[in-house]
Amino acid sequence: MKITDFLKCVFCIVFLCLPISSLADSTNKITQQTTEVACRYEMSVIPHDKSQATSNTAWFFWRTPNMIQTLVANGDHGEIWQRTVNGSIQYRKLYHSDKTAVEYMPADIPTNNMNFDWFKLSTMLTQQELNALKPVKTTQVLGRNAVLRTGKTNGQTLEVLWLSDENLPASITRNDENRTVALRLVEITPLSAAPHKPIAVEDITNYRHIDAADFGDMENDPFVKKMMAADGHHH
Amino acid sequence: MHFLKKLSVMAVSSLLTVSIAQAAEEPTPEDWFNAGHKTVVDALHLHPNKRHAKNVILFVGDGMGISTITASRIFDGQQKGGYGEENSLSFEKFPYLALSKTYSVNQQTPDSAPTMTAMVTGVKSNDGFISVNHTLVRSEPNANVINANKLTTILEQAKENGMSVGVVSTARITHATPAATYAHTANRDWEGDSDLPAGATVPDIAAQLVDFNINGGIEVALGGGRTRFIPSTATDPEYGVAGKRKDGRDLTAEWGSKHSKAQYVWNKAQFDAIDPNKTDHLLGLFEPSHVHYEADRIAHDKAGEPSLTEMTIKAIDILKKNRNGYFLMVEGGRIDHAHHAGNAYRALTDTQQMAAAVDAAVGKTNTKDTLIIVTADHSHVFTIGGYPQRGNPILGLAQGVGEAGPTLDLLGLPYTTLNYANGPGYTGASNIQPDGSKTFTTPATPGWASGSEGHTPTSYKPANGRPTLSNDQVQHHDYLQEAIIPLGSETHAAEDVAIFAKGPKAHLFHGVVEQNVIYHVMAEALELNKHQHSYHHSK
Repeated sequence: MKITDFLKCVFCIVFLCLPISSLADSTNKITQQTTEVACRYEMSVIPHDKSQATSNTAWFFWRTPNMIQTLVANGDHGEIWQRTVNGSIQYRKLYHSDKTAVEYMPADIPTNNMNFDWFKLSTMLTQQELNALKPVKTTQVLGRNAVLRTGKTNGQTLEVLWLSDENLPASITRNDENRTVALRLVEITPLSAAPHKPIAVEDITNYRHIDAADFGDMENDPFVKKMMAADGHHH
Repeated sequence: MHFLKKLSVMAVSSLLTVSIAQAAEEPTPEDWFNAGHKTVVDALHLHPNKRHAKNVILFVGDGMGISTITASRIFDGQQKGGYGEENSLSFEKFPYLALSKTYSVNQQTPDSAPTMTAMVTGVKSNDGFISVNHTLVRSEPNANVINANKLTTILEQAKENGMSVGVVSTARITHATPAATYAHTANRDWEGDSDLPAGATVPDIAAQLVDFNINGGIEVALGGGRTRFIPSTATDPEYGVAGKRKDGRDLTAEWGSKHSKAQYVWNKAQFDAIDPNKTDHLLGLFEPSHVHYEADRIAHDKAGEPSLTEMTIKAIDILKKNRNGYFLMVEGGRIDHAHHAGNAYRALTDTQQMAAAVDAAVGKTNTKDTLIIVTADHSHVFTIGGYPQRGNPILGLAQGVGEAGPTLDLLGLPYTTLNYANGPGYTGASNIQPDGSKTFTTPATPGWASGSEGHTPTSYKPANGRPTLSNDQVQHHDYLQEAIIPLGSETHAAEDVAIFAKGPKAHLFHGVVEQNVIYHVMAEALELNKHQHSYHHSK
């Protein structure tokens, strides 16, 4: 998978999770109970303009109380967030075939407006967003209890199938004037029984680590060269 | 405002003349003439200081090309309420100047490793090489081979002569520029032992700093780069992330145990509490990696960190206790990073801070016995263009003399005075930000996402014309100036950089010189050539 596809995937997840703050409903407050899970999600981006192609991606999502890790299903790119003992969140992009991690250092995170919310990272929606969606009905997804929650904001509709016990979405569907973006859970298991395991943190520790701020001074580094040239437009 | 600008013009002019301070008005033609003449008269009375230097302070603005100095001068002057152009940064008032040819043995446009190697060893080398000669292969892992080809640095020679030495940077203290003063390796990226390939026997740069054993070791090392000094079994005291050392060594603890009157600090409160009279060895590591940009330092740093000026003052106060003198290297390390990011504001504010550090150093030293040099390792593709009128905001849209609004290009669109020839400011849609102007910070993402990592794109679509710019937009601190060629990271540039000098032997800087001449002037000033074998003799 190309890096652009990976980033498209990221963009789509962002798109799906835009705030829906106008639907505040404090009676439906959801508390965070983090269970260790391994998931596989599929995502479709369906442009309303029929002349544009639909794109589909799939990715793994692993969660423990203090770690979130993702991996593009047919690629080798992933990301990891780790909550440290003092509450900071360490964020790295992972390039497994190169055994390289690109770090975003604490000094650069606030400068770059990074503002990691652990609830968002581990449940894919903010507490406020979830509270704002109105429950419509209960159902079953992959043999698990789910609640369909819906809402509308800024002329866009949002529909979430929420796994209450796992605190995860079984699906998120968002429509705006240009496209429909649909995220769907296709596989969920306890982390200990997962057919696809995340890369062990100890193994990632042994990866080569590069500070993202150093890219400009690594013009001859083979990995950085590959990164910067990976998605160039070749005419 | 206009009155203040007039005052500013007068203030600057009064530096050059004594006769035009009668009124707060624009200098008259006679004023300009007299000011120019006064400069020449001053030059006629300039007497080279032919004494030898007791102390040498080398300031390196990483990536601080001449256009960066000019823009920073104007920026600084405008912040003081003046037009800006007449302003002078502290080091621009130094009496001696030369231009430095920065190419390395194998690069037309160099990186910081061979350029700093040239400055502190007197020998040009290859890209990525830290004070080793160019005959090595890149990433030579054998310590014996490295030792056989290492180049003695001015810092090492100073220690051998009983002087004290210090290294200060806003980058990681193991980054190429500071590293070249005390370490020897054929790969600038081998900053910690976890960066070394299997089987390598050459020590990592952090270990070389703490294990430096000439005459009691380095006295002062202040900067960033904490994680490469801490074992992987320990966590960072500020952020809780794991250390990076696999060998189990805690170099911060070793610093304290191997030196007498030694202190290790990692935040500003600890730094401020250091009494230079009671401290002979000070290691300060204020961030896991590079320290903050000056523009963000106070607002964003969790534990607090000193400015480059404060670090410079503390270093001098510790080093000056040695009657034999000292060598101090101070790097404004993040000027380079801001340029790579295509963000002029942060490059200018970090340059402004380095000028303040130079000013502080000048104030704490005697020009009779201290040689101060200010230079850069290389330039950047940063330009100042158009025909903006006098006093036009340096970060703003170009607006010419007599024009009611911004000057328009042939598309009918305004443009900025500052631009980059390449970099992330290209205005086509990138994989991170949409078509149009780019910003340093990608807006925070509200939902589950990989977060925002600034604008470090890996792809672009061709730009569709140019964006329509406003002054509010382009003068924002996070605006990325337009770049012609789309690159994920703006690049270094190959043109010469300036060398400013004052103090003993400063007059030896003249003309256009090779970058390695800087070492030879420092060595001459410190009389090192009398006591040391030359490189050729030792070979």
